[in-house]
Amino acid sequence: MTGIASSPPVREPSPPAPVVAAVDVVKTYGRGDAVVHALRGVNIGFARGGFTAIMGPSGSGKSTLMHCLAGLDTVTSGSVLLGGADLTRLDDRKLTLMRRERIGFIFQSFNLVPTLTARQNILFPLELAGRTPEAPWFDRIVDVLGLRERLDHRPSELSGGQQQRVACARALLSRPEVIFADEPTGNLDSVTGREVLELLRRSVRDLGQTIVMVTHDPVAAAFADRVVFLRDGLIVDEQLRPTADGVLDRLKRLENA
Amino acid sequence: MIRIVLSRLGAQRGRLLLTVVAVVLGVGFISGTFALGDLMRAGFAREFAASADKVDVAVLPKGDGERLPAGMLEKIRALPGVTDARGLVRAEAPLLGRDGRTHGHVPTQGFSLPTDGPLRRYTVLEGRVPAAPDEAVLNESLAEDTGFRPGESIQVLDAKERRHTFRLVGVVDVGIDAELTSRGGVGFLAETAVRMTGQKDYVEIDVAGSVTPAQVGAAIGGTGHEVVTGEELSSRLSSEAGADITMITTGLLAFGLISLLVAGLVIANTFTILVAQRAKELALLRCLGATRRQVFGAVVVEAALVGLVGSLVGLAVGLALAAGGAAAVNALGMDVPVEVSLSLRTVAIALSVGLVMTVLSALPPGFRATKVAPLAALRTEPEPGERAFRLGRARWALAAPSAVGGLALTVIGMRMEPGETAMFTVAGGGALTFLAVVALMPLLVRAFGLPTGGRLGRRLGLPGRLAVQNVRRSPRRTAATTVALTVGVGLMSLFAVVGASSKATADQKMFEQFPIDYRLHTGVTGRTIPRGVADGLRERDDLFSAVTSIRSVDAEFGANERMVASMTQGSLGIVAKPEMKHGSLEDLRPGTVMISEGYALRDGLAMGDAVPLKTEHGTVRVTVSVVYAGEAGMLPDILLPEADFTRYFGQVEDLDVYVNLQKGVPVSEANDVIDTAVADHPRVQVSTGAAMKAEFAKAIDMLIGIFAGLLGLAIIIALFGIVNTLTLSVVERTRESALLRALGVSRRQLRGMLSAEAVIMSLLGAVTGVLLGTVFGWAATRSLFTSFVFALPYGQILLYLALAVVAGLLAAVLPARRAAHAPIVESLSAD
Repeated sequence: MTGIASSPPVREPSPPAPVVAAVDVVKTYGRGDAVVHALRGVNIGFARGGFTAIMGPSGSGKSTLMHCLAGLDTVTSGSVLLGGADLTRLDDRKLTLMRRERIGFIFQSFNLVPTLTARQNILFPLELAGRTPEAPWFDRIVDVLGLRERLDHRPSELSGGQQQRVACARALLSRPEVIFADEPTGNLDSVTGREVLELLRRSVRDLGQTIVMVTHDPVAAAFADRVVFLRDGLIVDEQLRPTADGVLDRLKRLENA
Repeated sequence: MIRIVLSRLGAQRGRLLLTVVAVVLGVGFISGTFALGDLMRAGFAREFAASADKVDVAVLPKGDGERLPAGMLEKIRALPGVTDARGLVRAEAPLLGRDGRTHGHVPTQGFSLPTDGPLRRYTVLEGRVPAAPDEAVLNESLAEDTGFRPGESIQVLDAKERRHTFRLVGVVDVGIDAELTSRGGVGFLAETAVRMTGQKDYVEIDVAGSVTPAQVGAAIGGTGHEVVTGEELSSRLSSEAGADITMITTGLLAFGLISLLVAGLVIANTFTILVAQRAKELALLRCLGATRRQVFGAVVVEAALVGLVGSLVGLAVGLALAAGGAAAVNALGMDVPVEVSLSLRTVAIALSVGLVMTVLSALPPGFRATKVAPLAALRTEPEPGERAFRLGRARWALAAPSAVGGLALTVIGMRMEPGETAMFTVAGGGALTFLAVVALMPLLVRAFGLPTGGRLGRRLGLPGRLAVQNVRRSPRRTAATTVALTVGVGLMSLFAVVGASSKATADQKMFEQFPIDYRLHTGVTGRTIPRGVADGLRERDDLFSAVTSIRSVDAEFGANERMVASMTQGSLGIVAKPEMKHGSLEDLRPGTVMISEGYALRDGLAMGDAVPLKTEHGTVRVTVSVVYAGEAGMLPDILLPEADFTRYFGQVEDLDVYVNLQKGVPVSEANDVIDTAVADHPRVQVSTGAAMKAEFAKAIDMLIGIFAGLLGLAIIIALFGIVNTLTLSVVERTRESALLRALGVSRRQLRGMLSAEAVIMSLLGAVTGVLLGTVFGWAATRSLFTSFVFALPYGQILLYLALAVVAGLLAAVLPARRAAHAPIVESLSAD
């Protein structure tokens, strides 16, 4: 696992080239006196097959960073590179195609389209792209996630954990370049949350999937290979092969600093 | 509590705006109708008051068609105190058009024009009043219709049908005189009017001077007339005109109520959605200690405020509509002064109608709001619209009896003897069936998605399938939205079907059973065509295959006086091919009579009945030997053999002459021959079969056009309903839309999905309406006449459906924009 140093920014990402990278990303909201600097020049890369957790106190800009990396939000300056393209230079249509074909999402809640069954939800991005799912891959994911019995149920008929597993299956099925997970366990009880995190880790280890996860839970972060810490819109530290206790310590120091 | 309501109103201005629009349109129509009535009445009253100023006393004949003897005028003039007295002459004096034939279907009226003195009555619009016996004026509508301008020569027939030439010197405004306005009037000097009309008696005598009605009455003595003051005259005339206004406004009001009903549906639906969306907020109010009553009150007060604002704007819209309406009524040939006036009554009606409708519509949602448990504030909401749907007991309780009753009534109506009772029975059945459809609409919406699972679903693509699912997800909401459209489209289809069927029936009855090329007639009841005309045409059998004379007299037939007719013997079966109910044309032998089925039913006659007929030479008995189907169209109800008719009633002149062409003869030659034959009889009007057909079709189309225009508003309100529902759905689905966008749904696809939703909703409403309208249009025509020919106006119905699609697309424009341009990140965390 090749890590990248925290700020001060590193100019050159180490090889192999990262799947996703932020270069000098600045994001400000509002104007004049009311201006909020959410990101103040972030440089970071995420290597293929890595599982990275982004952490930081509330208001540190971790969610904003993820939204910018995923092409959901625009940046004020800087660029976001994904698979060789600069997301900040794409128009809405190309950006939409990017999200559809090369990015997977798992949100904290409200992950699924309520009018579609679990199966339809899982197949959704592929169908949008007009691609046919590979049957063995679909079967494998469904079986690994234990969703076989629930495929024809609507989201309202699934438990929170099941809904989150459906979202994972959807993200994994299209083999995106990167999956962004925004507090994927935030709404789950600890046992179910653990299941989902195991699943994400396994998909990285066994399937070579790249995952970037935003979380505020040190236990969740400990499932990642690498933890990046943000404060006040800047990357301030990172840990490789984190433990929950180590992360917690670091967070406490960040908050008290 | 009121403060909370008010603050919420402010916050939700956007969402309520569309509801206000629905109120505005509904109230606008109603208040516009009343304002139109007001302004017409006010205008008439003013005009009458102006003319009543000049008349101090007026003498009127008692009874319709009676006149005042000419001698009466001299007696009045001799009275001390009378400064002026004029007798008004008015009777038929047909103006000839530029083609040398009498103008219009009904001959124009000649009238005397007081040209000087205090009783000068009419306003001159152009030129001047007649000053010499060879001068005349036209009223405004007649001058417009004929195109005659002052300075031209015009020809008018006198009572003996001789042509007289006059110089047109002016155009006058006859005000609200309905007879002169509709028939057209030619004004002369009093003596000329008497000479032309052959009528020296008066329809009215106006008196100016210091006399009382009593003095005038005493001076003329006798009965058969009444003497009134100028004010009484004016109020009497204006109440006559008022009856016309009442008829117009009553008709408009019926359509206004339909619009109001549709607006009510839209408003109820909107409040239902708003209450559902606010469940959490209402629950919070309950948590904080608000009682059920207060929650209910909050919803109702909000509705009342919306209703009030909508009604006020609606009132203003109504006034504008009334001015436009008056202009439209004028375009239809009436003369109404366009001047908006606002009566307290109109204001009261507009405000109360708007308020009551809005508050009533908000009662069920308000009641539902009280059922929100305080705990709901703390629960996370389930996905919108995802609760399992079950048709409630109340709906079944409404739907089952209405459906059964409606269908039963319809079947009963169709099995009854055709006529008005049968039609009203069917109409009742239709209304009940509609109620059942309204109640069951959610089921239809549910069922609608089924076929999309298969091939159709793949065709639609993912956004299309999502749209179908979205439409189905809250069946009640979709149903309420679409039903509003069903009302308007259903009635429009109904009228279209009845209209098309009338045309088809006329084609068959008049033009297939009565295939004639020309019809010669006078356009006036009782006026005939000299026999020589038909006889002359008969000589040209190289051109004409048949020349048929219809003759008639009024005679006692059975217990009643009826029109008894004959037809040229040889034409029966060739020119007239009636559908037979009993017997055949061969059975029409001497001593017998053929009658229509409709007449047989009305007078209770049957085959073989010997009916007494009073002739010139005493009463004879004629036997009913033939009954033909249907009602009288162009064939008389009671038809005697031609020889019998002549024997009973002598040499009667022709009422109508029908002419059929030989095959292959040049039409222009036939036209020339016929024109020559009637050249000396300017009152005879010649119409061709094709022209008659076109005229009939035009009349029906115009009627349907007017209905469609009046129903248009109900349809527009329903479309606002669709915009409303869609907008609220978009708000409600902010997060869902953002999720779709995050997962790679493009803006275009999102817009496409919402457009598809709107189109599906409007098509659901329109298709249901077209189906109901067609079925009940068919049932209604069948129940009204025995042998009604059913015709489906494919073109019109396809047009309605195409318009529904376009309307759906339009309805989706704004909501779709809003959804497509919502920022993804903020929307994802929206509540």
